[in-house]
Amino acid sequence: MAALQRVAQSSLSTAGNSYASCKAGLGSSTCAGPVVDEKVASDEFPVGLKVLVVDDDTTCLRIVEQMLRRCHYLVTICSQATFALKLLRERKGCFDVVLSDVHMPDMDGYKLLEHVGLEMDLPVIMMSADGRTSAVMKGIRHGACDYLIKPIREEELKNIWQHVVRKKWNENKDFENSGSLEDNDRNKRVNDDTDYASSVNEETEGLKGQKKRSNNKEEDDCELENDDPSTSKKPRVVWSVELHQQFVSAVNQLGLDKAVPKRILELMNVPGLTRENVASHLQKFRLYLKRLSGGVTQQQNGISSTFCGSVEANVKLASLGRFDIQALAASGQIPPQTLAALHAELLGQPAGNLMPTLDQPPLLHASMQGPKRATVEHGLAFGQPLVKCQPNIFKQFPQSILSVDDASSRYGVWTSNGLGTVGPSNTIGGLNNSNSNLLMDVLQRQQHKQQPQLQQQSLLPEPSHSINVQPSCLVVPSQSSASFQAGSPVSVNQNSNFNRNSVIDYSILSPQSNNSALSVGHISNGDMKTSGILCGYSAPSSSSTMSSGSLNADNSPSQQNSAVTNGDARQLPRLVPNIADIQGSYGAKSGEMLDQGPLRNLGFVGKGTCIPSRFAVDEFESPMNNFNHGNVHSENHVNPVKQEPSMDFTNNAKVGVPVLRQFPSNDLMSVFTK
Amino acid sequence: MLGLGADRLRADMSRLLALLFHQGVLDEQFLQLQQLQDESSPNFVSEVVNIYFHESEKLLRNLRGLLMDRELSDYKKMGIHLNQFMGSSSSIGAKRVRNICVAFRAASEQNNRAGCLRALELLEHEYCYLKNKLHELFQLEQQRAMAAGVRYPMQN
Repeated sequence: MAALQRVAQSSLSTAGNSYASCKAGLGSSTCAGPVVDEKVASDEFPVGLKVLVVDDDTTCLRIVEQMLRRCHYLVTICSQATFALKLLRERKGCFDVVLSDVHMPDMDGYKLLEHVGLEMDLPVIMMSADGRTSAVMKGIRHGACDYLIKPIREEELKNIWQHVVRKKWNENKDFENSGSLEDNDRNKRVNDDTDYASSVNEETEGLKGQKKRSNNKEEDDCELENDDPSTSKKPRVVWSVELHQQFVSAVNQLGLDKAVPKRILELMNVPGLTRENVASHLQKFRLYLKRLSGGVTQQQNGISSTFCGSVEANVKLASLGRFDIQALAASGQIPPQTLAALHAELLGQPAGNLMPTLDQPPLLHASMQGPKRATVEHGLAFGQPLVKCQPNIFKQFPQSILSVDDASSRYGVWTSNGLGTVGPSNTIGGLNNSNSNLLMDVLQRQQHKQQPQLQQQSLLPEPSHSINVQPSCLVVPSQSSASFQAGSPVSVNQNSNFNRNSVIDYSILSPQSNNSALSVGHISNGDMKTSGILCGYSAPSSSSTMSSGSLNADNSPSQQNSAVTNGDARQLPRLVPNIADIQGSYGAKSGEMLDQGPLRNLGFVGKGTCIPSRFAVDEFESPMNNFNHGNVHSENHVNPVKQEPSMDFTNNAKVGVPVLRQFPSNDLMSVFTK
Repeated sequence: MLGLGADRLRADMSRLLALLFHQGVLDEQFLQLQQLQDESSPNFVSEVVNIYFHESEKLLRNLRGLLMDRELSDYKKMGIHLNQFMGSSSSIGAKRVRNICVAFRAASEQNNRAGCLRALELLEHEYCYLKNKLHELFQLEQQRAMAAGVRYPMQN
């Protein structure tokens, strides 16, 4: 046994490898790693992943070790959980992911998982021959990011790097939301609760909801104690796509007004799901609906506060950029499923993001004002992801704003359109670069959520490769806007790649407000601009690179867009100058930026996919993220343009869905042109 | 002649493997194991299987000890042992051993002592059969390697 506890020294000293550097870049810490390292990492990313395997079964240990070696991971094996924990504590940062057996004599795998989660916050993958639902559920509740059932196959291990990426991504997200680097699962959970409580208070049925909640909590706790007295952690339910779809169908079946957790639970009939889980999810679901129809009152305040608060925009941007880079690295190899999986993981921690950004919710509400509640609700069922995302967006927005000093002045001119559009466009560009048709699809899906009809059309994501060409984007915006106004989703769907792009943007925007159409149009322009701006202005951070990546593709298209959409004279003139600037800047930085750009795109893609797959409340967050990114870019653009970010935001929020319909096609066009 | 011997030995190995697969003693996981063997670990399969034998015998001893304690058999501990046995058996592709472990675990969960004893007997029997067959396989492999090794100098 002792002999098997060998620690591969080589694996512990891998700082020089590409993955390590990549990881440093991705880290939630604010330090900015050299871009060169990231590039290298992107080429061979999963290679050199540092894995710690803990299993008292030496047979499995040896087999898993060999399998991991074959994946070119750096493997450290250990047959005792206590020793593994010691190792982890002594060599923090020396491991990227932990594979742990569940049943071990000296320390339960769950216990180890808990320690790792609290102290190191590394992704932990559980392994066991026990594949019974209860055992797997227990692992998930304790925060395992995956649960592999023995015999473990090599294909499963090949893919474990995704958990590392996902974790980093989540950390970044948390960081943005809470401003704290040390967010761990517990924090997230706390945030979750807080959010929940506050939202409940806002609700008309607040008291009732809270009572129910406390009752449920007691029940849940009891159940937990019976289940595993050693751990008092609140179980975490992962609202997978399937689960959320079940939930939505149950709610639809019951009718939103009559849907109570108990009945939903009965309809869903999912083992292990508690009434509290459902109640919490329902609460979020309702909140989302409410936001869609809520007032705009506090938007401006919220915005201003957020702006002030977010001084760290640059840092965050940098981290984001790196993250994206990793994603890019992975992108070449990442299949759609992986993205979906990433999304799924996000689902687990949705509430956390919302919590920190209390100020931001107002903005969301504002966007939701739309008079047509019924339509909004449709969106809710499908589009929840968007709502959640918004908080993130807000935060990021402020950050980006901070970094760009000029933004406020220029922003005003552009109004809401600029922000929305910029974000989407960036995303699109990134997607194109990354070859992520999937992303496109996801975006489209979001749109679908808002407009069921559109969804059908958009479902055809496959052609995505061609999508990369941004010129199409220009075309798309106009079409999308037209379709929106007309209310005929069909036209949008058929637009081909371009449409998709536009759709994507649109979807992102749409959750917040009607502005989406406008934003779409702008997006193409915005992207162009942003890239240029980013290069020139905020270049220091990785985020700038992102924009550049998209810019390359976009530059020509954006110009075209401006020409096409000339319809609105007011904004056009300004746009043109912006475009020019962008191009110039772009040209200068394009060489460097390209690499980073794709990476970022990947990051977006991942988020995008997450959104569609989840559909659940959690999903909302992911869309939000996209939005955020988009915003950031847009802000960058904005600075050159001299628009005021805050203005845009408010406008967007206020516009809401109803506005879109109100806008005539001409307006949309003009917006695009702008 | 010696080259032919190696070929014959290889055929014997294939036959034996086919038989074990046919009987359900082994499953495709064992093939995975063989595929994991490469230049960096030329004896990977036999190394792992030997570890498995070592661990399994320890587990079997523990299981028997737990069951023989008439006063209070620790079924929970038994379940943990069986879990591990299941894990390692399935990891090397010992399908029948694994299946008996599943039945054994089910019996232990019901505190079914008679069922556990029966399952233990079966498990020991099945394990011995597996061990003998795998040893046979490894011996064939060894002979084949030797025969093949002898042939090369002759050809040269």
